[in-house]
Amino acid sequence: MTVAAGIGYALLALGPSLSLFIAVISKKPFLILTVLSSTLVWLMSLIAISAVWRAFLPLKTTAWWPYGILILSSVVFQEGLRILFWRVYKRLEDVLDAFADRVSKPRLFLTDKMQIALAGGLGHGVAHAVFFCLSLLTPAFGPATYYVEKCSQIPFFLVSAVIALGFVTIHTFTMVIAFNGYAEKNIVDQLFAPIVHLVAGMLTLINLASGGCIVGIPLLYFMAALTLMHCGKMVQRRLTQNQSRQ
Amino acid sequence: MASKLFHFCVLLCFLARLHASLSASEEVALLQSVPDLENAMYIVVDGFPCVRLLNLSGEIGCSNPGRDKVVAPIVRLKNADKLSQLSAILVSLNEFDSFLARVSNDSNFARRIGGVLVESESEIKNGLKGFSPDQKFPQAEFSPYRSINYQWNPIGSGRMWKNYNFPIFLLSESSTSILKEAAIKNEDHQNVYTANVAEFDLVMQTTKARTLDSESCLKGETCLPLGGYSVWSALPPIQDLSSESSKRIILATASMDSASFFRDKSLGADSPISGLISLLAAVDALSHAEGSHSLDKQLVFAIFTGEAWGYLGSRRFLLELDQHSDAVNGLNNSLIDTIVEIGSVGKGFSQGIKRLFAHTTRASTATNETLNALQLAQDSFQSSGIEVLSANASNPGIPPSSLMAFLKKNPEASGVVLEDFDTVFTNQFYHSHLDANINSSAIVAAASLVARTLYILASEKKHFTTAALNAINVNSSLVEELVGCLLTCEPGLSCGLVKHYILPSTACPNHYVGVLLGEPSSTPYLGYIGDVPRFLWNFLAEKTSIPADSAGSACPNNCTNTGQLCIRPETDGKGVCVVSTTRYVPAYSTRLKYESESWKVLAPNSSDSIGMVDPVWTESNWDVIRLRLYTKQDSSYDWIVLLAGFSVTVLAYLAIVITRALINKALKMD
Repeated sequence: MTVAAGIGYALLALGPSLSLFIAVISKKPFLILTVLSSTLVWLMSLIAISAVWRAFLPLKTTAWWPYGILILSSVVFQEGLRILFWRVYKRLEDVLDAFADRVSKPRLFLTDKMQIALAGGLGHGVAHAVFFCLSLLTPAFGPATYYVEKCSQIPFFLVSAVIALGFVTIHTFTMVIAFNGYAEKNIVDQLFAPIVHLVAGMLTLINLASGGCIVGIPLLYFMAALTLMHCGKMVQRRLTQNQSRQ
Repeated sequence: MASKLFHFCVLLCFLARLHASLSASEEVALLQSVPDLENAMYIVVDGFPCVRLLNLSGEIGCSNPGRDKVVAPIVRLKNADKLSQLSAILVSLNEFDSFLARVSNDSNFARRIGGVLVESESEIKNGLKGFSPDQKFPQAEFSPYRSINYQWNPIGSGRMWKNYNFPIFLLSESSTSILKEAAIKNEDHQNVYTANVAEFDLVMQTTKARTLDSESCLKGETCLPLGGYSVWSALPPIQDLSSESSKRIILATASMDSASFFRDKSLGADSPISGLISLLAAVDALSHAEGSHSLDKQLVFAIFTGEAWGYLGSRRFLLELDQHSDAVNGLNNSLIDTIVEIGSVGKGFSQGIKRLFAHTTRASTATNETLNALQLAQDSFQSSGIEVLSANASNPGIPPSSLMAFLKKNPEASGVVLEDFDTVFTNQFYHSHLDANINSSAIVAAASLVARTLYILASEKKHFTTAALNAINVNSSLVEELVGCLLTCEPGLSCGLVKHYILPSTACPNHYVGVLLGEPSSTPYLGYIGDVPRFLWNFLAEKTSIPADSAGSACPNNCTNTGQLCIRPETDGKGVCVVSTTRYVPAYSTRLKYESESWKVLAPNSSDSIGMVDPVWTESNWDVIRLRLYTKQDSSYDWIVLLAGFSVTVLAYLAIVITRALINKALKMD
């Protein structure tokens, strides 16, 4: 599909992340470090999951439920890792606050904490996009295109880029919601992230059916939109709460 | 404790069952890596190309028009009337000839042709009665007689001698169905933005370098001359090479190369490989004959290559005889009594009778002797249904054969060509890729006839007994084996017989002469010689050999005595020293000379009358020849995708900036 299409697909999957990086993350070095370490943690989690599943792969079956079990176990593992990530962050936050006190500088604001959560989520999202979309994109720079039998209306690379974009959005903003939930001890927010992640993961199984991508992708974007709205509402609530407190 | 163990066992069993069901062998096409994805996207199609050949006045054959690959959507011929863009036309074999005729006549049509793909179907399906892209009188310019309008090959269309500036590939049977599907999908127009395209990589160096005839391309080193190595052998071995023996020579010849429209599918089963197999079987029969090592005349067997491209092998052989070169050491041109050539003999079987025709040169004592010998040999096969007849007197002369080169050199030469036809070729697929079927009992008959005839000719004044003559019998299982080795892909050249002598480089045999690599010499580097000539050299050397003093010593270290050869040198440690006179003779145009690492075209010389009309064929150099199939997207679609990517990025940036501004405003509102 030539270089133009290849770049187009790469931008579709990672363009918004790039914009977010330039607009928000690149201003603060600490956020860049957070993005990098969260990407690393996510990739390590993938390695761990694949080490366990190595014995059962490749799944030579046309039934959908083995894939369901694969996704379920992976999501459970990664959500567990998210809690671990939060614990490490909390300790880091205490260290940073103590340091700020010592040099008489202000402590972390609420917005700073949200930005750190955003950076963490972005790291997860970028890792997902790179691993599941960008790594397959090299053939897209050549002259040929590819259509999967079960999704014959949309080229394979376009489907992969669009799904990757959906997941980037979901990963980025669920991290903000989750960190907020852990901080406020809000059960709804704490459960939102794992449930949305799991549902989104399971929705991709619809693509296994013939013509399923026409249904699966809009549903995935519905979940992404849901995440964005919930995050927006939560941020608005926290900020107004904060204002009224001051 | 026991319950915990129990639970653990249940878990294990479950996992094991899970594993088993997950690897259930329902065949699902799996792509497990990016290279797998690329292989699924780009399908390499099995095809046989037609390549660019050049002569002194221009080019023939096919090539990509420039230095780039040609990419064109696949269209079936019946829908090719209104072509709006450069297309790859899928043609069936029945339509191929009329299609090429149309291309020559209609330049508008020809301009829209990107490439041509020729379908291949099993014989039952295509029901083609005959197909021959050669001329109606093949190699008429070399004939020693004037009636060049006589049609030896009336079915010939002459298409292989024309110039096409687009690539043409012959598909194998499996790839034919793949391409038909691709063409049908293109026609259905399900998706307006995509098309199944064929990518032709048939870039020829002579086209790139613009050296458009033999002389300029040889000078520019962008092509190589057609040629190879002929093999000759003497039975019995010529013991004393230095003293000029005065034994008269009976020369029995055959040729080992064929030609076709498609370079890599030149099988030539009837023309001329059936003759080659007959000669090999006759040599085998004669080597076991009583008194074969004390015949009155010397038997020499010569197998020429390059005969289909201007009688390169026979002409060069005659030139080397004149020059008394090393390659023909021991032979004296003036001692050759008569020539017996075995042409196409594979289709002479009809209604239980195996009939052969003897085409002779001008009547003389020698030709009469040969005809008598043939009659005697025929009679010795009392009830085997073998018949040999003289060719029709109304024929203008001998059919296209190596004997024409001998006659042009020496109009007084006498010889006989044995063929399975009388006035026109019986082979309806002469010089085409479909010349693949012959009758092995016809070959056995021809071989038996030739073996006994040669024995009679070499034994002067009937110094042989009828018993000895009748004991000369051809091994029909050897003939079957040779047919399997030289004319099929299974077992092909990896059959036991060939592997006994050489290490073949491919399994599927192909009898195109190829190009002459390196410097032509009488002791060439074995890596530059093809599988078939090496096999023939080793086979003939073994059959005509007498055991050496250092019998059975391992070679190649110990064969230093004169007259000794190392046969089977490629088989690990099984090489054997024998006494035999078997040599390679280079085969290339007499108009060429290899000098200071390159080829030069010599000026025409009136003493070489056949060389004056020689077109001097060369083949262009090429790097890679490949045919691929993939799905291509419209370029407008690509730009739309790029635009979408950019706009998503820019919109996201705007959204983020706006959100950040809103949050800052909310924070500052106090």
